[in-house]
Amino acid sequence: MEDYLALANSTPLFLVVGGVLLFIAVTCVVFIIKSYRAGIKIGMGSALLKRTIFSSALFTLVPSISILLGVIALAGTLGLPAGWLRLSVVGNLQYEALAAGSAAQAMGVNYSSSSLSTQNLCTILLVMTVGISLGSVISIFFVKFYSNKLNRLGTKKSSGGSSFASWAMTAMFIGMSAAFIGSYVAQAVNGPLGRIERTDSYTLSFYIPLMVAAVSFLSMSLCRWISSKYKRFEDFSLSLSMLIGMASASLLALV
Amino acid sequence: MPFDWEEYENSIHKTGIIMVSVGIALIISVPFIFAKILSTSIDWSGFAHAILRVGPTYWAISIVEFLVYVPLLGAGGSYLAFITGNIINMKLPCVFYAKDIAKVEEGTKESSIISTLSIASSALMTMLVIFLGVLMIVPLTPILENRYLQPAFANILPSLFGALAAQYFTKSWKITIIPLAISIVLTTAVPSLINQTSVMMIPAGGVAIAIAFFLYKTKRLEKKKEAVNAR
Repeated sequence: MEDYLALANSTPLFLVVGGVLLFIAVTCVVFIIKSYRAGIKIGMGSALLKRTIFSSALFTLVPSISILLGVIALAGTLGLPAGWLRLSVVGNLQYEALAAGSAAQAMGVNYSSSSLSTQNLCTILLVMTVGISLGSVISIFFVKFYSNKLNRLGTKKSSGGSSFASWAMTAMFIGMSAAFIGSYVAQAVNGPLGRIERTDSYTLSFYIPLMVAAVSFLSMSLCRWISSKYKRFEDFSLSLSMLIGMASASLLALV
Repeated sequence: MPFDWEEYENSIHKTGIIMVSVGIALIISVPFIFAKILSTSIDWSGFAHAILRVGPTYWAISIVEFLVYVPLLGAGGSYLAFITGNIINMKLPCVFYAKDIAKVEEGTKESSIISTLSIASSALMTMLVIFLGVLMIVPLTPILENRYLQPAFANILPSLFGALAAQYFTKSWKITIIPLAISIVLTTAVPSLINQTSVMMIPAGGVAIAIAFFLYKTKRLEKKKEAVNAR
């Protein structure tokens, strides 16, 4: 019997995944073209639109590298094509490994390349995909209805003045950031009390996320101050602050 | 000829519905195509067991995420975000940051354009990085798995949300204090919530919006907002 990982990494599988991802990439390009043209027509100016594309791509660069790590982690068990597909579309880094492990367990096999068969691979991949696809399916049927409803509920159609909508979005984001920062504080409190499991061997293990968040917070504050003097620096502020935060994690792990 | 915004929105919906339908059909068909190529079949009994274990939690989360994310991402952005994934850890922060830089007012045409452009370019960048990574997987693996770099990659979310907190908490500490306290108290009291940030977003975000609404109605936010916009 041919080696499982050799089959899971065979060329035809790469071609299938490449074809599917090419379609998704084309979808993104179509949306860029449509919204760019509409932006120009409503008078937004090409400089602003190009800057949005550039800063969003730049913002995504560093987190994307961490997703690549997830691909490597999945590839060890499910093969590279499956990891490539699962982390390029629908879902997220945290979900995939968890779903794959649970699926293997539910089928009564160990989640390791030495235990899996190609049938397990295809079944696990189907479970992972179906398990996370509901959001996309709902979006096909309900985005139009829901967004039209939201438009009617009073969002404005043109600029001018500050509305509650802007504050609601800022508040939502404050809530989202608070949820993450709160979890880092809880980790620092619960870890030493033995209420959560240690996942690595670093001395400062439980404190590292909170300390890293603090370093990033300070770096970003400094970057914002620099941006207030040099406008173009603003595009790089977040990526730079994140890199400083990540570098501090490596240093803190050495303690 | 004057530009018809409604026509644009309708065309975004039409394109979104068609491309997401085809996209999701293609993605779901991959395991079946793999099975055909590998001369095997799907283990339907195993699938049923596994999907019952994995599905319900994520389906419930998907419904909540849909209700929360669509108002934040806009129509075009939502179609793209749901098909390309990594919403909470990448697309959402990316859109907020792009809107912040562009200084557009929420709920406007401009905000909708920025949101769609931002998510599409973010998704393309992720796909490009992963594609290049897959091409160079052999030389890259030892670098990415280097023991000195591992903690850096493991702490990408604290780095991201620490930086974003500096951007957003400072816009209004009045809105921030209570949701932050609620989040700290809840996750400290119930440690299993530490890894449930999607769930924690709901009470923290809900309370933040309620406080913002109260402060907005009592006109205690405007001054600061103008200062932020003028930045």
